[in-house]
Amino acid sequence: MALPDELVLARPVESVQARRQGRRWRLAGYLAMALAMLVIGLPVYWTLIAAFKTSAEIYGPPTWFPQAPTLANFPAAWNAAPFARFYLNSFITTLGGMAAEVFFAVTSAYALAFLRFPRKDLVFLLLLAALMVPVEITIVPNYLTIARLGWINTYQGIIIPGAAIAYGTFLLRQAFKALPYEVIEAARVDGAGHLRTLVSVVIPMAQPAIVTMALLSLVAKWNDFLWPLIVTNTANMRTLPIGIYWLRNSEGVINWGVVMAGSLFLIIPVMIAFLFVQRYIVEGIAAGAVKG
Amino acid sequence: MEQRKLTRRQMLRVLVAGSGAAALAACGAQAPATGPAPTTAPGGGEAQAPTTAPATAAPTVVSQTGSTVNITYWGSFSGGLGEAEQAMVQRFNEAQNEVKVEYQFQGSYEETAQKFTAALQANVIPDVILLSDVWWFGFYVAGAIAELDGLAQQAAVDFADYEPVLLNEGVRQGKHFWIPFARSTPLFYYNKQLWAEAGLPDRAPETWAEFSEWAPKLVVKEGDKLTRAAFLHPNGASYIAWLFQGVTWQHGGQYSLPDFTMTMTDANTVRAAQFYQDTARKLGWATLVQELNKDFIGGVGAAMLASTGGLAGITRDAPFKVGVGFLPRETSFGCCTGGAGLAIPSGTPDEKKLAAMKYIAFATNPEQAGIWSRSTGYMPVRISTKQSPEMQAFFTENPNFKTAVEQLPLTRAQDAARVFVRNGDQIIGKGLERIIVNGEAPATVFADVNQELSTAAAPILEDLKAVEG
Repeated sequence: MALPDELVLARPVESVQARRQGRRWRLAGYLAMALAMLVIGLPVYWTLIAAFKTSAEIYGPPTWFPQAPTLANFPAAWNAAPFARFYLNSFITTLGGMAAEVFFAVTSAYALAFLRFPRKDLVFLLLLAALMVPVEITIVPNYLTIARLGWINTYQGIIIPGAAIAYGTFLLRQAFKALPYEVIEAARVDGAGHLRTLVSVVIPMAQPAIVTMALLSLVAKWNDFLWPLIVTNTANMRTLPIGIYWLRNSEGVINWGVVMAGSLFLIIPVMIAFLFVQRYIVEGIAAGAVKG
Repeated sequence: MEQRKLTRRQMLRVLVAGSGAAALAACGAQAPATGPAPTTAPGGGEAQAPTTAPATAAPTVVSQTGSTVNITYWGSFSGGLGEAEQAMVQRFNEAQNEVKVEYQFQGSYEETAQKFTAALQANVIPDVILLSDVWWFGFYVAGAIAELDGLAQQAAVDFADYEPVLLNEGVRQGKHFWIPFARSTPLFYYNKQLWAEAGLPDRAPETWAEFSEWAPKLVVKEGDKLTRAAFLHPNGASYIAWLFQGVTWQHGGQYSLPDFTMTMTDANTVRAAQFYQDTARKLGWATLVQELNKDFIGGVGAAMLASTGGLAGITRDAPFKVGVGFLPRETSFGCCTGGAGLAIPSGTPDEKKLAAMKYIAFATNPEQAGIWSRSTGYMPVRISTKQSPEMQAFFTENPNFKTAVEQLPLTRAQDAARVFVRNGDQIIGKGLERIIVNGEAPATVFADVNQELSTAAAPILEDLKAVEG
């Protein structure tokens, strides 16, 4: 990519002082990074070790390592609810929801970035307005709509209300705007229609942004709790986050070891997904950083 | 801009429904649909139509073989409680073949109530619903839950054998709307090990004055910092307003009168708040914590007031022997009830209502109430349950639980301000946090709380007048 070349070109022009200052900034950056790591990583670490602790140890004075490591929490969590079914439901709703969201985000962002139509600004403004509305506000109207469609306790009931999210369109529209327009013009000159331009030119060029957006969508849908809880009734339609909630006690003492073991069921697939597409995300973030 | 604001507010209003107006409106909107309900009900609605005619003579229909009535039950029990609840449903389904119950977990009490609100508007309601002490009244005022006396008679429910203090909470104008099921009360918990180390008698303090004498012996300080408190307060989110309810009564105060007149500024109510503040500040032996049960088990404090519902779990997880006792007195004894009960939505078709009542009758019969109580730690809701040999054996094994049950007849229903006013619990809880944590003057804070509660109560009073006249 063009990124390292630019940096190399920039460096010889720097003065010694600027370099020293740069080093100081870099140190501050590393410190900030370490701090962020700690803030983000500590709860994850705590979750991880708590899953291997006995209940008495969790409620005792805090320990950094399980004193008497136990694997009992995992079967206890797995057997407390039909987790295999929850996995299946989570996979279906997450992948289905993500695919729909990416599709709608890419197509609508293309329209907003490259098509010319009247009142485009107004459409974009509406989109921004939708961005500001908290999800919780729309839950009751959405529930009513879904109920009247007879979609309560179905996969489409879980997926459809989240199939198009303003955030994805907004993110991709900004990314598409930043693409070199000359390339798109060139494609037009070569006789490419909109679909061809989108599939062969825009999508490959904006790939990092699209992958990032898809991953954000994946995580959001995978972790979504409130909507699937409200729109489903029976255990065989429930998703993983609700399964973990089921492990908690509503009153009295919560068996945290089991809850944390259940949380690991939730975290691990997302971690694997992250490891797979991590390369694309890093590129996506770098691309965003340069274009500022 | 103006328009957007308006819709947003409307939506918010819909969200906080259940409070009254909005839910009432919802029921109003639904009312025309209840007439032809069997035909409009989604899925199998048409098929039900023929059965509605003989619904008035339901027993004859139900007694025919193969006419099992399927009903759904929305509840908030998860974890160990959820398993106990599913076991109960299974026992019911196996014990007879007229009614088949499906238990559907709907999240916390709050989420269950919110979902019920939305479900009422969409007309996809359950046949039995578990509602907590702070939620059932809103649905009653909105006309969303049915009067149960006629059904109870058909299902041969003996109301005389229910703990009166628990049953009467769900009674309005002489009619039953809310049947006690998973009911708890506050209890005084203490750490026997720390008690012994401090040389205290192995019992809960009789009065707060006595505990104030004991407390300095239980406290551990490092300089000015309290490293071990004698007593722990929960925060607002953990229902401090519920535990403080009894303390106000002990001081001769109360949150409100039955007619919804707020009495937070009553001299004795303020005195109780002053006492709570002093424990944490002037006397300095108590502290307010985020996770009450966890910190008690962890030895952060030597004693606390907490729900009887946590007794089994705390006893299991604490590395020390746990002692319990009645709440300490001040000028008098005071302790409230809490927890959840069962109700039947008024929109449920008649033949399902009777089936739902049969489940409620089963879940609260003396035998099942005992099993439920022993497996969860909730109070037995039936008087005769206490005499059963199983319960007596359980008491011998768990003397702490016996104490909790013995305190039950001395308890009373909570003041309207906390349970009948929307969000009343949190309004009072936040006030108590200001008093204990920020050290603001109780009189000033409770004047604010009084104002806020009165404002919140106004719409409910209006709706209540419409319902009860």
